[in-house]
Amino acid sequence: MIRQLRVPGPIADVEEVRVLQWHAAEGDRVEPDALVVELETHKAVVEVRAGRAAWLRRRLCAEGEWQMLGAPLALLSDDAAETLPEDAATAAEWPVAFEVT
Amino acid sequence: MRPEPGATRRFFREAIARALREEMRRDPSLLLLGQDIGAFGGPYRDFEGLLAEFGAARVRDTPVAEAAMVGLGVGAAAAGARALVAITYMDFLMPALDPLVNYAAKLRFKTAGQLAAPVVVKTTAGAKGQGVAHSQCLEAWLMNVPGLAVVAPSSPGDAYGLLKTALRAPGPVVFVDHKRLFPLSGPVPDEEATIPFGVAAIRRPGRDVTLATYGWMTHPTLAAAAALADEGISAEVVELRSLAPLDIGTLAGSAARTGALVTVEEGQLPCGIGAEIAFRVRESVPALAVARVGARPVPVSSNPALEAAALPDAPRIAAAARRLLRPSAGETA
Repeated sequence: MIRQLRVPGPIADVEEVRVLQWHAAEGDRVEPDALVVELETHKAVVEVRAGRAAWLRRRLCAEGEWQMLGAPLALLSDDAAETLPEDAATAAEWPVAFEVT
Repeated sequence: MRPEPGATRRFFREAIARALREEMRRDPSLLLLGQDIGAFGGPYRDFEGLLAEFGAARVRDTPVAEAAMVGLGVGAAAAGARALVAITYMDFLMPALDPLVNYAAKLRFKTAGQLAAPVVVKTTAGAKGQGVAHSQCLEAWLMNVPGLAVVAPSSPGDAYGLLKTALRAPGPVVFVDHKRLFPLSGPVPDEEATIPFGVAAIRRPGRDVTLATYGWMTHPTLAAAAALADEGISAEVVELRSLAPLDIGTLAGSAARTGALVTVEEGQLPCGIGAEIAFRVRESVPALAVARVGARPVPVSSNPALEAAALPDAPRIAAAARRLLRPSAGETA
């Protein structure tokens, strides 16, 4: 199954974040609870961790790019070789845990 | 939001930190004084990275002692250095008015120009859930002091350019930002740039009414102008940027075209910025319809519903413009 990583929320006073650092590359297997990406708000860093295992297939935002809360950041798949859809929005949501520090 | 060419989108705090960093590099005499501006990086992370680059002798954490902080800054400036003093909330500027008003603003006059006090007080005004003594907008008090410059940006790009100019000014400047500006981001020029004091900006052109404002209130005022446009009222939004000196020329030019002026401030109306603008614009545009929008005459509550009830918002601003243009509409704001 194809899944999308979305910018998690809600976060107080934040509508949009900037991608600070990716901690998984395209093609990586991501295990539950692994740190996947750090996002930056006006005053905090948001650590986003995997809620379930998956393969990171395509990053949709580079480091330094901005994205709205709820918008897609990456596509993942349960199996390594599944075909990715053209439109990220059709993919199921990938569960994540996030912490604002 | 895509920034224009030659600019990069930055958080508000990053625009502040960059202006400070560039001016610290340019002027080795510049000192920063403030609470939590060192290792902590500033209350809004707006001093981040400066201690590491410039060291504890130039980036000084101070006790909670505003009169002493501004006194130190004014003294250092009078002695030939340059200082920026960060007063976290504008309410806390009150204990420091003596060194700022009686010493910094007067020094050049008192010494027949032999001494000057190039000190910048950077402070954060405005309401955001913190109650009676952490929410005030007191900039109108400061406009009353000859010798003080007062500037108030609404965006990261203007914060960057105005703070750079403040840090090069020959005398004292109060740089007023706002709690609600820090969550914002916006384009900041990639190349080094400054913005002169006393130059307002027309943020939205219009024909029927001029809405004059500054600082955070620029954002609800622009929202009000958009709402008025839906009703066929074309509102021009003039953002002052600089309160002292005031760009009366741009305001009067706009008001002469539209014939109607609504002033918008978050602070109190009596002897306020709107009163000053309205009087001075009318000196050159006598037949001008004028209305003021500001806080209701109560302290700002920490209760969010009461806070919102006390302060101007887009519907109140739009209602004031509507009433001015259509007196028969009979609405109350």
